Amino acid sequence: MATSTVSSVSLSLSDRLTAGILALMIGAFLVFGAGLANSAVLHDTAHDTRHSYGFPCH
Amino acid sequence: MIVKTLLAAIVAGLVAGVFMTAAQELRVTPLILHAEQYEGEAPATGEPAAAGHEQHSSLKANAPLGALLASISPVTPAYAHEHGGEDEEGGIMFGMSRFSGTLLANLVTGAGFSLLLAGISVMIAYPITLANGALWGAFGWLAVHMLPALGLPPELPGFPAAELGDRQTWWVATVLFSAAGLYLLALRGEVISKLAGLVLIAAPHAYGAPQPLDISSNVPAVLGAEFAVAALATTLAFWIVLGVVSGFINDRFVKVA
Repeated sequence: MATSTVSSVSLSLSDRLTAGILALMIGAFLVFGAGLANSAVLHDTAHDTRHSYGFPCH
Repeated sequence: MIVKTLLAAIVAGLVAGVFMTAAQELRVTPLILHAEQYEGEAPATGEPAAAGHEQHSSLKANAPLGALLASISPVTPAYAHEHGGEDEEGGIMFGMSRFSGTLLANLVTGAGFSLLLAGISVMIAYPITLANGALWGAFGWLAVHMLPALGLPPELPGFPAAELGDRQTWWVATVLFSAAGLYLLALRGEVISKLAGLVLIAAPHAYGAPQPLDISSNVPAVLGAEFAVAALATTLAFWIVLGVVSGFINDRFVKVA
């Protein structure tokens, strides 16, 4: 709880936006690659993961 | 600070990915293997042609289903399935075993979801802490798994399904709508926001998920039911671990979520 009060002070808006957008972009890239990308090699490697996360794939 | 935030998210994601792999091996993978035994018997007309290719893919999951999809698809000749017309060779990258492929995929997926969660948390200035981590995780699960599963339940190999592109589009749209809706519903005080959140969550389901034209399958329905429950249960556990570990790392090492 103490940490949340610290956070609003020490992280500037532009830092927050940069970190947030970076995190969203890298995260989306990783999830897309593991879960949705149309590559047979990626698909076969991630097969069981794709099924158990319920990604729509093949 | 930025790097620290990203690193914290990645570490939490990797931890959750390892946990997910263990949970999958116990609860989910046996059902996938079981279903694949039936999958080869798929009553598709194009199967003999595809049967030879099946050997190339170490998982045997693609060719019969591709043939099945081709036979039920209204746009048969030019259908854009993911395997490039069955010509592209599949196989697990770097010659890894099936298990290590799954582990790698879980680590990547875990880091990916963790970064998405952290990104949202940073953007809306609502830190993930140890105290609220489980709740963050539960909302992630609702947005990414439970709500989309209402339209497109987690499917076993060999299950009938609609055209891939339609399903992926619907799925991604539903995840985005659900996430936005949950944010409005849970974190905004105004009644109008909450109503808008409900509308956003309901909208993809009112529109309707793409459904297969022919739902016959050789895979027993009981197996499908067990699988859907196991998949949703393990992903819920994954997200709660992810949220709690993220919160712990943020509290302990980052101090700024």
